[in-house]
Amino acid sequence: MTWPAEIQARAEAIVARYPEPRSAVMPLLYLAMRQEGSLTLDGMRQVAGYTGLTSVQVESVASFYSMYKRESVGDYIVSVCTSISCHLLGGEEVLGAVADEAGVPSGKTGADGLFSVESVECIGACGGAPAVQVNYELVEGVTSESGRRLCRWLADDRPQVVTSDHMQAEFGGMRSFEWGPDESEGATGPVPAFGPLGTSGQPS
Amino acid sequence: MTEQILTTRMEAHPADSNTLRRYEATGGYNTLRKALVEMSPEQITAEVKAANLRGRGGAGFPAGVKWGFLAPAEPHYLVINGDESEPGTFKDRQLLERDPHQLIEGIILSSYALGVNHSFIYIRGEYPRPARRVQRAVEEAYAAGYLGDDVLGSGFSLDVTVHLGAGAYICGEETALLNSLEGRRGEPRLKPPFPAVEGLYARPTIVNNVETISNIPWIVANGGAAYDAIGPEGSRGTRMFSLSGHVARPGNYEIVMGMSWRDLIYEVGGGVRDGNALKCWIPGGASAPWFTPAVLDEPVTLDDTGRLGSMLGSGAVVVMDETTNVVAAALSIVKFFSHESCGQCTPCREGTTWLQRILERILAGHGREADIGLLLDVCDNISPGLRWPPAQTTICPLGPSVVSPITSIMKHFRPEVEAMIRQAAPAGV
Amino acid sequence: MSERVKITLDGREVEVDAGTLLIQAAQDAGTYVPRFCWHSRMEPVGKCRMCLVEVEGPRGTTLTTSCTMSVNDGMVVHTASDTVRKAQEGVLEFLLINHPLDCPVCDRGGECPLQDQTMAHGPGESRYVEEKRHYEKPIPISDLVLLDRERCILCARCVRFSDEISGDPLIEFIDRGNYTQVNTFPDEPFASYFSGNTVQICPVGALTATPYRFRARPWDLEAVESTCSGCSVGCRVSVQASQNEILRLLGVDVEATNHGWLCDKGRFGFQHLAAPERLTTPLLRGDDGELHEASWGDALDRAAAGLATIVESSGEDAVAGLGGSRNTNEEALAFERLMRHTIGTPHLDARMGDALDVTLLAAGPRRGLIGDLERAATILVWGPDLKEELPVLFLRVRRAAAELGATLVVVHPRANGLDSNADHIVRYRPGEGGALLERLAAGEGDLGGVRAALDEGPVVAIVGRTGLTEDSNLAGAVAGFAAELSDSSVLAVSRRPNLYGAVDMGVAPGMGPGRVGDDPGRDADGILEGLGDGSVKGLVLLGSDPAGDHPSGTAGRAISQAEFVVSIDLFLNDSNRGADVVLPTAGFAEVEGTMTNLEGRVQKVNRLVPAPGQARPANEILADLAHRLGETWESSAAESLGAAISTLAPYADVSWQALDFGTGRDGIVARGSELEFSVQNVDKSIGNGLSLHLGRVLYDLGTAVTMGPSLAKLAPRPILYLHPDDAASLGVIKGDRVELTGSAGSAVIDAALDPSLAAGTVYLPFNLGTTVGSDPSVTVEKAT
Ligand SMILES: Cc1cc2nc3c(=O)[nH]c(=O)nc-3n(C[C@H](O)[C@H](O)[C@H](O)COP(=O)(O)O)c2cc1C
Ligand code: SF4
Ligand code: FES
Repeated sequence: MTWPAEIQARAEAIVARYPEPRSAVMPLLYLAMRQEGSLTLDGMRQVAGYTGLTSVQVESVASFYSMYKRESVGDYIVSVCTSISCHLLGGEEVLGAVADEAGVPSGKTGADGLFSVESVECIGACGGAPAVQVNYELVEGVTSESGRRLCRWLADDRPQVVTSDHMQAEFGGMRSFEWGPDESEGATGPVPAFGPLGTSGQPS
Repeated sequence: MTEQILTTRMEAHPADSNTLRRYEATGGYNTLRKALVEMSPEQITAEVKAANLRGRGGAGFPAGVKWGFLAPAEPHYLVINGDESEPGTFKDRQLLERDPHQLIEGIILSSYALGVNHSFIYIRGEYPRPARRVQRAVEEAYAAGYLGDDVLGSGFSLDVTVHLGAGAYICGEETALLNSLEGRRGEPRLKPPFPAVEGLYARPTIVNNVETISNIPWIVANGGAAYDAIGPEGSRGTRMFSLSGHVARPGNYEIVMGMSWRDLIYEVGGGVRDGNALKCWIPGGASAPWFTPAVLDEPVTLDDTGRLGSMLGSGAVVVMDETTNVVAAALSIVKFFSHESCGQCTPCREGTTWLQRILERILAGHGREADIGLLLDVCDNISPGLRWPPAQTTICPLGPSVVSPITSIMKHFRPEVEAMIRQAAPAGV
Repeated sequence: MSERVKITLDGREVEVDAGTLLIQAAQDAGTYVPRFCWHSRMEPVGKCRMCLVEVEGPRGTTLTTSCTMSVNDGMVVHTASDTVRKAQEGVLEFLLINHPLDCPVCDRGGECPLQDQTMAHGPGESRYVEEKRHYEKPIPISDLVLLDRERCILCARCVRFSDEISGDPLIEFIDRGNYTQVNTFPDEPFASYFSGNTVQICPVGALTATPYRFRARPWDLEAVESTCSGCSVGCRVSVQASQNEILRLLGVDVEATNHGWLCDKGRFGFQHLAAPERLTTPLLRGDDGELHEASWGDALDRAAAGLATIVESSGEDAVAGLGGSRNTNEEALAFERLMRHTIGTPHLDARMGDALDVTLLAAGPRRGLIGDLERAATILVWGPDLKEELPVLFLRVRRAAAELGATLVVVHPRANGLDSNADHIVRYRPGEGGALLERLAAGEGDLGGVRAALDEGPVVAIVGRTGLTEDSNLAGAVAGFAAELSDSSVLAVSRRPNLYGAVDMGVAPGMGPGRVGDDPGRDADGILEGLGDGSVKGLVLLGSDPAGDHPSGTAGRAISQAEFVVSIDLFLNDSNRGADVVLPTAGFAEVEGTMTNLEGRVQKVNRLVPAPGQARPANEILADLAHRLGETWESSAAESLGAAISTLAPYADVSWQALDFGTGRDGIVARGSELEFSVQNVDKSIGNGLSLHLGRVLYDLGTAVTMGPSLAKLAPRPILYLHPDDAASLGVIKGDRVELTGSAGSAVIDAALDPSLAAGTVYLPFNLGTTVGSDPSVTVEKAT
């Protein structure tokens, strides 16, 4: 299978950003994941084609990093931090509550493809522990109760775009620091929302 | 309030400190304009040397000295380490989100000083929002002529590429980061050669932390000597501390080093939550051995912390109060290192996981008498002698980092561990 | 001579080579530091951490991996201090906690470094009470290799070999940390011509080879060192057998040739020797027209009588001999004697219409060594796809380009194995090589860069026939050009294992033993022509199958017109199925002797197992024939033939004793003065049609592949490759059937596209069952 022309153009632009094509592997893996919701064998083969690697070399790189998911994930990946600061302030309880509310055990994806729930290592939000990310968009100061509400909101509203600012206002508590101006952009799916990857969007 | 170099703008202008407009309105890029005309690259390097700015990424290596090691071969690169993943650390995130132009101006000045024409900002994958803000700032800087061909008509050209990681703590280690940036597994490389000689694409490369480079505009504007005049010897300038855990007012604080731990935790951080007693704290991120109240009055400096058998590391202070189950806390950190080991070195790959299993067993009530000795011996096989600074049987310091929480609880709270094992192991087991 | 430095090793002062790695220096000085990941032919990675030693420095001693640290003068090293012991034992314990310890059922048991280390220093009892890592037990990752991830210690030897050495990065680390495992991509097997090397260098039993699996325990094996007879590179091997059956070949590290590596065809090809189809008794054609088993006496009588009859009726000139390039020098010399002396014919050739001019093979201009590649600034490869034909030479060229920084120029009709390491790639249509050479020599147009690179010496030129439709004189012309370059050396390459030796032994028209001129005779093409027109009536085949191997595609028909054919061979084939007498001969590891590789390097081959049934060494068969034809040789023994060889000028002093592997020599290069040869006008006409590139692939329908169960399935299907433009104008798409018509007929075959071809060129792999002749001019039509 080949990618649509628009995606191919984007892939070529990504390759052009680097002195050597191999450097484009990581952004291209995000791009590939974006196409099919997870990193498929075909996706890895495509990336190999752009970077002059063999498929297994691409898989080797991809499988090294936690954020490239080789199994299909839900529309919303809910990541709960359980590293030391969050651990001290109840990260594991939040994880339990979220998993329960989403109906998906940690490390798994629900059968309906709505949620993936995972426990993650420190996400750099220790000052607002316990911290949670939805599709890598951050919420700080989450409690078991607000974590449940967060899941219910996702299930009920099915937002196309999730933004940190909205979630923080609705479900967050203590923050690591003042966040500054509202960020209107957010994630449009379970791939980190970053401009050149075409994964970010604005809520309608 | 203490002196601030990095955070004044964001505190004064919470609504738009990340924009080019605000950055310029508060004097931003003036230093660059002046330096490109009035200063030679050597002069900038000299100011950075004179500042005695020590790296903020963890190792505390003097930035000016590192720059001096850069081999002359062309092309060479500057890589900004924004992988910030050490548990307890979140200060780079603030610098990236709230004042990206300060970093970019630092990058341009540093690149000019180092003769670099392509610089990379590596931001961890879990930081899409900081990455977006930096990306937007980079685009603004290109549009305004601060980046690209012929910066401000000076003849100097610079490209900046923002690169997103994908979830691997080890990519904070500079050579693993370079591998990752090259599209490889984020495995640390053997050193030597050091990046300054053979780094990105085997070219000479300087890797500096986000905070380190964010200091550069101020240093160039005010002179290295002015920076060197702030704070105690060996710990010059201000630095970002991330306070978290059972502290009343967690957050990032930019402070002049040299204050006591007591002041940092109780004055700056507002003390322990709920008025609880302080049990212990981690002075510099998950890799650092823990401190107990016995050293509360020691000064917060790189050298004093080292003398006391730990490190300031990434400036992450994690406070634990009297309610803390230290075995569970240690397990959280051990599990972290086991999960984040790149897997190259036998002792790290196998040892971290083994330690995790033993601690899990103890916590689950299946501890054995021999476990304390076993834990320490496994640690000893990763970091022989269990001393500070650590010896290592591994390629990079991640392996030995797993030892810190274990030796810490054994040193300070051994009776608690023993009690847990004893309670777990009724007679006969 | 490299510089020496003094280091203090465990309290004793020793002198070692400057710049070597500590682990190597210690070993050279007699101290073995245990290791798993380090391999002397690969970049150190320092990841198993087994080789830790203490090195004294200004701030006390530090533990460091001896495989990653170079020695310097005055270094003080401790390899056995308490700290070192403790650290090494710690590493070993870590390696064992997840190891299945299934040594009794592991192919490596008995020769496993992990097992050895554990016996020597391992913890008596495991302190690890948790569950071990589990993976699916051995999974096939190719037709030849199985992977057991539970045994793997993640040393990365296989991964590094595949990436660094062979350039086929098809096996890699997957996942991270404690979950790290080696594997291939789910639907892309470890299809590398060099996969067997990873099995050999795996320090545990994680990678095993299907042909050897569960076949033997190391202590039951008998072994002998020898020289691989898969091709003309001449890799050093250890041949290992149990109960008179060869079970495996291992590469032996020799600086001059293979650096320890083998290709899979060389490594696993031995299986054909034990094939049930192997000839074990003489065969005679009976009155019923069929071949029947016969006694040696009857068979030899009949063979001699048949040949004598032809000589009587039509003269010595009516007998010819083909073959010898798969035999030892001793056997080839016996063949030469029989043909030229006993029978008295000048018509004999070891080449098969696919080789080079004999003067080029025997002592071409500026004849070089493989080792010259290590110093080359520029390498020109204008010849076969080395990966397909001379795989280990491919590895050496690849190393020179990838690791040692040589500039590589590759001239070939299509993409080939070296392209990814090439600095300059030049494509052309077979038949137009002469014109290309002229333009190249002049540095015309886009060839200016190539020409400039060739002015940077030392230059090593590897020349040979890019394909079988290529004019055989082109290689000579290229060699002549290369010899004129400053500081150059030339390797004229052809792939048959002992072609060079056979030619040196005089199995060549116009050249007698020792590279001396002799009466002009017919070459292989001429002999086949003679058979066709009746001027040649009797034929002796020695280990050769022109019907299958001669690119003209017409040899079978020619042979069928012979009056009398004697074949000495391992198998029945298309050439000897119609013979009058078929004599079974001994093969690799069944005979002792010498072989001469493409550099002219003479090396021993040794005997380990008896030949099956009544099969005999060819030299004895040939001597018996000579005897029956009235000439009794002093001795037919291989050893005395070997002694005779060592009196030939280029082979002076190349005696079996001098070649004994115990001497530590990497064989002896048979040198000789350069022979005159003239550069011919080379271009063949290809008119307006398409030009055929007929190239070899490693796994073809030769007996080494088809008769061995492991390799047999690896020969690809024949496919005709077209340039996309040509395909478009013919209205052909991938998968279509096309009719290819050449000088010797037509064939209908599947088509595929190959954009790497020069437009106007089609590519057909040779010896996969489709033959249309060896003229470059062909036509292609879409089959209906
Ligand atoms: C395991 C490990 C993790 C590290 N993580 C980070 C990190 O997240 N961010 C960082 O700036 N430096 C990190 N470092 C330190 C870097 O290797 C390097 O020293 C630093 O980026 C250099 O910048 P500086 O000199 O400006 O501090 C880490 C080091 C190790 C050994
Ligand atoms: S110590 Fe651990 S993280 Fe560091 S290189 Fe070795 S295995 Fe990787
Ligand atoms: S042999 Fe040196 S680390 Fe493996």
